[in-house]
Amino acid sequence: MPETPTTAFDEVTAWILAKNPERESVGADEDLVENRLVDSLSFVEFIFTIEQAADTEIPMDTLDLDDLRTLNSIRKAFFDGRTPVTG
Amino acid sequence: MVSRLIDESERLKTILDRLNEKSIEDYYNPYRVFEWPDELPAEMWWMTPELTTTYGTPIADELPAERLHALSRHESVNFYSLNVHGIRELLIEVTKRIHTADFRTPSEFFHHFIGEENEHMWFFAEFCLRYGGKIYTQPRGGAETIPPNNAESLLVFCRILIFEELVDHFNSKMALDRNLHETIRQVNRIHHQDESRHIAFGRELVSVLFEDFRKTATEEEITQVSDYLKRYMSFSFESLYSPQVYRDAGIENPLEFRRRLLNDPRRKEFEQQVFRKTFSFLTKTGLLGDRDLSAFSASN
Ligand SMILES: [Fe+2]
Ligand SMILES: [Fe+2]
Repeated sequence: MPETPTTAFDEVTAWILAKNPERESVGADEDLVENRLVDSLSFVEFIFTIEQAADTEIPMDTLDLDDLRTLNSIRKAFFDGRTPVTG
Repeated sequence: MVSRLIDESERLKTILDRLNEKSIEDYYNPYRVFEWPDELPAEMWWMTPELTTTYGTPIADELPAERLHALSRHESVNFYSLNVHGIRELLIEVTKRIHTADFRTPSEFFHHFIGEENEHMWFFAEFCLRYGGKIYTQPRGGAETIPPNNAESLLVFCRILIFEELVDHFNSKMALDRNLHETIRQVNRIHHQDESRHIAFGRELVSVLFEDFRKTATEEEITQVSDYLKRYMSFSFESLYSPQVYRDAGIENPLEFRRRLLNDPRRKEFEQQVFRKTFSFLTKTGLLGDRDLSAFSASN
Protein backbone atom coordinates (compact mmCIF):
# COMPACT_ATOMS: atom_id res chain seq x y z
CA MET A 1 0.00 0.00 0.00
CA PRO A 2 1.47 3.39 -0.89
CA GLU A 3 1.72 5.80 2.01
CA THR A 4 0.30 9.30 1.77
CA PRO A 5 2.84 11.07 -0.43
CA THR A 6 4.97 13.63 1.39
CA THR A 7 4.99 16.94 -0.35
CA ALA A 8 7.53 19.69 0.12
CA PHE A 9 4.72 21.78 1.50
CA ASP A 10 4.17 19.27 4.32
CA GLU A 11 7.51 20.34 5.76
CA VAL A 12 5.98 23.72 6.55
CA THR A 13 3.02 22.14 8.33
CA ALA A 14 5.36 19.76 10.13
CA TRP A 15 7.48 22.65 11.36
CA ILE A 16 4.43 24.45 12.77
CA LEU A 17 3.20 21.31 14.52
CA ALA A 18 6.64 20.61 15.97
CA LYS A 19 6.73 24.14 17.36
CA ASN A 20 3.27 23.75 18.86
CA PRO A 21 3.19 20.26 20.37
CA GLU A 22 -0.26 20.85 21.89
CA ARG A 23 -1.72 20.95 18.36
CA GLU A 24 -2.58 17.97 16.20
CA SER A 25 -3.44 19.88 13.06
CA VAL A 26 -3.48 23.32 11.52
CA GLY A 27 -6.39 24.59 9.46
CA ALA A 28 -5.54 25.68 5.93
CA ASP A 29 -7.09 29.11 6.53
CA GLU A 30 -6.21 29.46 10.17
CA ASP A 31 -4.44 32.73 11.00
CA LEU A 32 -0.99 31.62 12.14
CA VAL A 33 0.00 34.89 13.76
CA GLU A 34 -3.28 35.67 15.51
CA ASN A 35 -3.45 32.13 16.86
CA ARG A 36 0.15 32.42 18.03
CA LEU A 37 1.35 29.42 16.09
CA VAL A 38 4.17 31.58 14.75
CA ASP A 39 5.63 34.63 16.45
CA SER A 40 8.45 36.97 15.62
CA LEU A 41 10.95 35.05 17.73
CA SER A 42 10.44 31.95 15.62
CA PHE A 43 10.27 33.91 12.39
CA VAL A 44 13.87 33.24 11.37
CA GLU A 45 13.26 29.49 11.48
CA PHE A 46 9.85 29.77 9.89
CA ILE A 47 11.12 31.74 6.90
CA PHE A 48 14.04 29.39 6.44
CA THR A 49 11.76 26.35 6.56
CA ILE A 50 9.62 27.80 3.78
CA GLU A 51 12.72 28.73 1.77
CA GLN A 52 14.07 25.21 2.00
CA ALA A 53 10.78 23.49 1.29
CA ALA A 54 9.94 25.75 -1.65
CA ASP A 55 13.56 25.86 -2.80
CA THR A 56 13.45 29.63 -3.11
CA GLU A 57 14.83 32.72 -1.41
CA ILE A 58 12.27 34.94 0.25
CA PRO A 59 13.12 38.61 -0.17
CA MET A 60 12.24 40.03 3.25
CA ASP A 61 12.30 43.63 2.11
CA THR A 62 9.55 43.21 -0.45
CA LEU A 63 7.75 40.42 1.36
CA ASP A 64 4.02 40.88 1.87
CA LEU A 65 3.40 39.67 5.43
CA ASP A 66 -0.11 38.63 4.44
CA ASP A 67 1.50 35.91 2.32
CA LEU A 68 2.61 34.28 5.55
CA ARG A 69 -0.67 34.48 7.44
CA THR A 70 -2.19 31.09 6.63
CA LEU A 71 -1.08 27.77 5.17
CA ASN A 72 -3.15 28.52 2.10
CA SER A 73 -1.57 31.92 1.51
CA ILE A 74 1.90 30.41 1.96
CA ARG A 75 1.07 27.69 -0.55
CA LYS A 76 -0.25 30.21 -3.02
CA ALA A 77 2.69 32.60 -2.67
CA PHE A 78 5.62 30.19 -2.59
CA PHE A 79 4.55 26.73 -3.77
CA ASP A 80 1.91 26.91 -6.47
CA GLY A 81 3.26 26.25 -9.91
CA ARG A 82 6.07 24.09 -8.54
CA THR A 83 6.25 20.30 -8.61
CA PRO A 84 4.87 19.40 -5.22
CA VAL A 85 5.94 15.79 -4.69
CA THR A 86 9.39 15.14 -3.23
CA GLY A 87 9.11 11.58 -2.14
CA MET B 1 4.58 66.45 26.43
CA VAL B 2 7.88 65.06 25.32
CA SER B 3 9.36 68.37 24.19
CA ARG B 4 9.04 70.20 27.50
CA LEU B 5 10.83 67.44 29.26
CA ILE B 6 13.69 67.38 26.82
CA ASP B 7 13.88 71.17 26.83
CA GLU B 8 13.97 71.27 30.62
CA SER B 9 16.86 68.86 30.97
CA GLU B 10 19.94 71.06 31.30
CA ARG B 11 22.06 67.94 31.46
CA LEU B 12 20.74 66.71 28.10
CA LYS B 13 21.29 70.12 26.52
CA THR B 14 24.90 70.29 27.71
CA ILE B 15 25.55 66.81 26.40
CA LEU B 16 23.92 67.63 23.06
CA ASP B 17 26.18 70.69 22.64
CA ARG B 18 29.25 68.62 23.33
CA LEU B 19 28.19 65.81 20.98
CA ASN B 20 27.33 68.24 18.17
CA GLU B 21 30.79 69.76 18.44
CA LYS B 22 32.40 66.33 18.52
CA SER B 23 30.50 65.28 15.38
CA ILE B 24 31.87 68.26 13.50
CA GLU B 25 35.41 67.62 14.73
CA ASP B 26 35.32 63.93 13.84
CA TYR B 27 33.75 64.46 10.44
CA TYR B 28 35.32 62.42 7.63
CA ASN B 29 34.56 61.52 4.05
CA PRO B 30 33.61 57.82 4.09
CA TYR B 31 33.79 57.63 0.31
CA ARG B 32 37.52 58.43 0.49
CA VAL B 33 38.66 57.09 3.81
CA PHE B 34 38.41 53.34 3.21
CA GLU B 35 40.88 51.00 1.58
CA TRP B 36 38.87 48.42 -0.34
CA PRO B 37 41.20 45.71 -1.67
CA ASP B 38 39.75 43.67 -4.55
CA GLU B 39 39.40 40.72 -2.27
CA LEU B 40 40.10 39.63 1.27
CA PRO B 41 41.91 36.33 1.90
CA ALA B 42 39.50 33.45 2.53
CA GLU B 43 41.93 31.49 4.68
CA MET B 44 41.69 33.61 7.79
CA TRP B 45 39.26 34.71 10.48
CA TRP B 46 36.90 37.46 9.30
CA MET B 47 35.57 37.96 12.81
CA THR B 48 37.19 37.66 16.19
CA PRO B 49 36.71 33.95 17.00
CA GLU B 50 35.08 34.71 20.39
CA LEU B 51 32.39 36.67 18.53
CA THR B 52 31.34 33.82 16.26
CA THR B 53 28.32 31.72 17.15
CA THR B 54 30.19 28.41 17.28
CA TYR B 55 32.93 29.61 19.64
CA GLY B 56 33.20 27.69 22.90
CA THR B 57 30.77 24.97 21.80
CA PRO B 58 31.53 21.31 20.98
CA ILE B 59 30.61 22.15 17.38
CA ALA B 60 33.68 24.35 17.04
CA ASP B 61 35.87 21.39 18.01
CA GLU B 62 34.20 19.18 15.44
CA LEU B 63 34.82 21.53 12.50
CA PRO B 64 38.12 21.90 10.63
CA ALA B 65 39.82 25.31 10.55
CA GLU B 66 38.79 26.04 6.94
CA ARG B 67 35.15 25.53 7.80
CA LEU B 68 35.43 27.82 10.82
CA HIS B 69 37.07 30.47 8.65
CA ALA B 70 34.28 30.15 6.09
CA LEU B 71 31.69 30.42 8.86
CA SER B 72 33.35 33.56 10.19
CA ARG B 73 33.30 35.03 6.69
CA HIS B 74 29.56 34.45 6.21
CA GLU B 75 28.80 35.48 9.79
CA SER B 76 30.64 38.73 9.27
CA VAL B 77 28.64 39.47 6.13
CA ASN B 78 25.48 38.66 8.09
CA PHE B 79 26.58 40.99 10.89
CA TYR B 80 27.11 43.90 8.49
CA SER B 81 23.82 43.03 6.80
CA LEU B 82 22.04 43.30 10.17
CA ASN B 83 23.57 46.74 10.39
CA VAL B 84 22.21 47.74 7.00
CA HIS B 85 18.67 46.72 7.94
CA GLY B 86 18.89 48.09 11.47
CA ILE B 87 20.06 51.46 10.14
CA ARG B 88 17.18 51.61 7.67
CA GLU B 89 14.77 51.21 10.55
CA LEU B 90 16.39 53.80 12.77
CA LEU B 91 16.74 56.31 9.92
CA ILE B 92 13.01 56.03 9.28
CA GLU B 93 12.19 56.66 12.96
CA VAL B 94 14.59 59.54 13.49
CA THR B 95 13.63 61.18 10.20
CA LYS B 96 9.99 61.01 11.30
CA ARG B 97 10.85 63.06 14.39
CA ILE B 98 13.43 65.61 13.25
CA HIS B 99 12.18 69.23 13.53
CA THR B 100 8.86 68.20 14.99
CA ALA B 101 7.71 70.09 18.09
CA ASP B 102 8.56 67.27 20.49
CA PHE B 103 12.12 66.91 19.25
CA ARG B 104 13.13 70.51 18.60
CA THR B 105 16.06 70.38 21.03
CA PRO B 106 17.83 67.28 19.68
CA SER B 107 17.14 68.13 16.01
CA GLU B 108 20.60 69.60 15.46
CA PHE B 109 22.05 66.33 16.74
CA PHE B 110 19.62 64.36 14.55
CA HIS B 111 21.20 66.00 11.49
CA HIS B 112 24.58 64.56 12.45
CA PHE B 113 22.99 61.26 13.39
CA ILE B 114 21.10 60.85 10.12
CA GLY B 115 24.12 61.93 8.07
CA GLU B 116 26.44 59.55 9.87
CA GLU B 117 24.04 56.62 9.76
CA ASN B 118 23.55 57.11 6.04
CA GLU B 119 27.30 56.79 5.66
CA HIS B 120 27.51 53.76 7.93
CA MET B 121 24.84 52.07 5.88
CA TRP B 122 26.87 52.79 2.77
CA PHE B 123 30.11 51.26 4.02
CA PHE B 124 28.41 48.24 5.56
CA ALA B 125 26.52 47.57 2.34
CA GLU B 126 29.72 48.12 0.36
CA PHE B 127 31.51 45.51 2.46
CA CYS B 128 28.69 42.96 2.04
CA LEU B 129 28.42 43.43 -1.70
CA ARG B 130 32.16 43.49 -2.39
CA TYR B 131 33.21 40.57 -0.22
CA GLY B 132 30.02 38.58 0.29
CA GLY B 133 28.31 39.22 -3.05
CA LYS B 134 25.04 39.97 -1.25
CA ILE B 135 23.28 41.53 1.68
CA TYR B 136 21.51 38.93 3.82
CA THR B 137 17.85 39.70 4.24
CA GLN B 138 16.42 39.91 7.68
CA PRO B 139 12.88 39.48 8.97
CA ARG B 140 11.86 42.45 11.04
CA GLY B 141 10.70 41.34 14.41
CA GLY B 142 10.62 41.22 18.15
CA ALA B 143 7.97 43.92 18.20
CA GLU B 144 4.55 42.41 17.83
CA THR B 145 3.49 42.82 21.47
CA ILE B 146 1.44 45.94 21.82
CA PRO B 147 3.05 48.27 24.32
CA PRO B 148 1.30 51.18 26.06
CA ASN B 149 0.54 53.71 23.35
CA ASN B 150 2.18 56.70 25.03
CA ALA B 151 5.46 54.76 25.05
CA GLU B 152 6.09 54.88 21.31
CA SER B 153 9.06 57.25 21.27
CA LEU B 154 10.51 55.68 24.39
CA LEU B 155 10.46 52.24 22.76
CA VAL B 156 11.84 53.52 19.46
CA PHE B 157 14.86 55.09 21.13
CA CYS B 158 15.32 52.03 23.36
CA ARG B 159 15.41 49.82 20.28
CA ILE B 160 17.94 52.10 18.61
CA LEU B 161 20.09 52.11 21.74
CA ILE B 162 19.95 48.32 22.21
CA PHE B 163 20.83 47.78 18.55
CA GLU B 164 23.74 50.25 18.69
CA GLU B 165 25.09 48.73 21.90
CA LEU B 166 24.93 45.22 20.46
CA VAL B 167 26.80 46.30 17.35
CA ASP B 168 29.32 48.24 19.38
CA HIS B 169 30.25 45.19 21.41
CA PHE B 170 31.43 43.62 18.16
CA ASN B 171 32.97 46.79 16.69
CA SER B 172 35.06 47.64 19.73
CA LYS B 173 36.52 44.13 19.91
CA MET B 174 37.18 43.72 16.19
CA ALA B 175 38.77 47.15 15.89
CA LEU B 176 41.51 45.94 18.25
CA ASP B 177 41.95 42.40 16.93
CA ARG B 178 45.35 42.25 15.24
CA ASN B 179 44.56 38.91 13.64
CA LEU B 180 41.89 40.48 11.42
CA HIS B 181 42.50 42.07 8.04
CA GLU B 182 43.14 45.81 8.18
CA THR B 183 40.00 46.62 6.13
CA ILE B 184 37.85 44.73 8.61
CA ARG B 185 39.49 46.47 11.54
CA GLN B 186 39.07 49.84 9.86
CA VAL B 187 35.33 49.39 9.23
CA ASN B 188 34.84 48.42 12.86
CA ARG B 189 37.11 51.15 14.22
CA ILE B 190 35.43 53.95 12.32
CA HIS B 191 31.96 52.78 13.18
CA HIS B 192 32.87 52.43 16.85
CA GLN B 193 34.13 56.01 16.90
CA ASP B 194 30.84 57.46 15.62
CA GLU B 195 28.70 55.12 17.68
CA SER B 196 30.23 56.19 20.97
CA ARG B 197 28.51 59.57 20.40
CA HIS B 198 25.22 57.96 19.36
CA ILE B 199 25.20 55.68 22.40
CA ALA B 200 26.00 58.56 24.77
CA PHE B 201 23.06 60.47 23.29
CA GLY B 202 20.75 57.45 23.31
CA ARG B 203 21.32 56.77 27.00
CA GLU B 204 20.53 60.36 27.94
CA LEU B 205 17.42 60.57 25.79
CA VAL B 206 16.09 57.19 26.92
CA SER B 207 16.63 58.20 30.57
CA VAL B 208 14.61 61.40 30.11
CA LEU B 209 11.84 59.66 28.16
CA PHE B 210 11.56 56.88 30.72
CA GLU B 211 11.57 59.32 33.63
CA ASP B 212 8.57 60.97 32.03
CA PHE B 213 6.79 57.71 31.19
CA ARG B 214 7.24 56.38 34.72
CA LYS B 215 5.40 59.33 36.26
CA THR B 216 2.03 58.13 35.00
CA ALA B 217 2.64 54.48 34.11
CA THR B 218 1.09 51.61 36.04
CA GLU B 219 3.12 48.61 37.24
CA GLU B 220 1.58 46.61 34.45
CA GLU B 221 2.62 49.10 31.78
CA ILE B 222 6.18 49.11 33.07
CA THR B 223 6.21 45.31 32.83
CA GLN B 224 4.87 45.54 29.28
CA VAL B 225 7.75 47.84 28.35
CA SER B 226 10.31 45.59 29.95
CA ASP B 227 8.89 42.47 28.26
CA TYR B 228 8.91 44.29 24.95
CA LEU B 229 12.58 45.22 25.38
CA LYS B 230 13.61 41.75 26.44
CA ARG B 231 11.87 40.25 23.45
CA TYR B 232 13.62 42.71 21.17
CA MET B 233 17.01 41.95 22.76
CA SER B 234 16.50 38.22 22.40
CA PHE B 235 15.34 38.57 18.82
CA SER B 236 18.31 40.78 17.90
CA PHE B 237 20.78 38.43 19.53
CA GLU B 238 19.30 35.38 17.83
CA SER B 239 19.56 37.12 14.44
CA LEU B 240 23.29 36.52 14.74
CA TYR B 241 22.52 32.81 14.38
CA SER B 242 21.43 32.77 10.77
CA PRO B 243 20.37 29.54 9.05
CA GLN B 244 21.15 31.18 5.69
CA VAL B 245 24.71 31.74 6.89
CA TYR B 246 25.08 28.14 8.01
CA ARG B 247 23.72 26.95 4.67
CA ASP B 248 26.15 29.19 2.74
CA ALA B 249 29.05 27.91 4.84
CA GLY B 250 28.19 24.37 3.75
CA ILE B 251 26.56 23.15 6.97
CA GLU B 252 24.33 20.21 6.19
CA ASN B 253 21.27 20.79 8.36
CA PRO B 254 21.27 24.52 9.08
CA LEU B 255 18.18 24.57 11.32
CA GLU B 256 19.38 21.75 13.50
CA PHE B 257 22.83 23.35 13.65
CA ARG B 258 21.25 26.63 14.74
CA ARG B 259 19.16 24.95 17.41
CA ARG B 260 22.14 23.12 18.81
CA LEU B 261 24.01 26.40 19.11
CA LEU B 262 21.09 28.30 20.63
CA ASN B 263 20.61 25.56 23.23
CA ASP B 264 24.30 25.25 24.04
CA PRO B 265 25.28 26.67 27.47
CA ARG B 266 27.66 28.99 25.64
CA ARG B 267 24.71 30.90 24.19
CA LYS B 268 23.69 32.36 27.54
CA GLU B 269 27.22 33.34 28.33
CA PHE B 270 27.66 34.98 24.92
CA GLU B 271 24.34 36.82 25.27
CA GLN B 272 25.33 38.17 28.68
CA GLN B 273 28.68 39.34 27.28
CA VAL B 274 27.12 41.05 24.27
CA PHE B 275 24.58 42.89 26.44
CA ARG B 276 26.72 43.45 29.53
CA LYS B 277 26.72 47.25 29.29
CA THR B 278 23.18 47.37 27.91
CA PHE B 279 21.87 45.38 30.88
CA SER B 280 23.75 47.59 33.31
CA PHE B 281 22.15 50.68 31.85
CA LEU B 282 18.65 49.25 31.50
CA THR B 283 18.56 47.80 35.02
CA LYS B 284 20.04 50.95 36.56
CA THR B 285 17.34 53.14 35.02
CA GLY B 286 14.63 50.66 36.00
CA LEU B 287 13.63 49.81 32.43
CA LEU B 288 14.49 46.18 33.20
CA GLY B 289 14.17 44.40 36.52
CA ASP B 290 16.84 41.77 35.81
CA ARG B 291 19.18 40.35 33.16
CA ASP B 292 17.25 37.21 32.38
CA LEU B 293 16.19 36.78 28.74
CA SER B 294 15.47 33.05 28.89
CA ALA B 295 11.67 33.44 28.65
CA PHE B 296 12.10 35.10 25.25
CA SER B 297 14.26 32.61 23.42
CA ALA B 298 13.01 30.95 20.24
CA SER B 299 14.97 27.84 21.15
CA ASN B 300 12.71 26.83 24.04
FE1 LIG C 1 25.89 53.40 12.81
FE1 LIG D 1 24.51 54.95 15.36
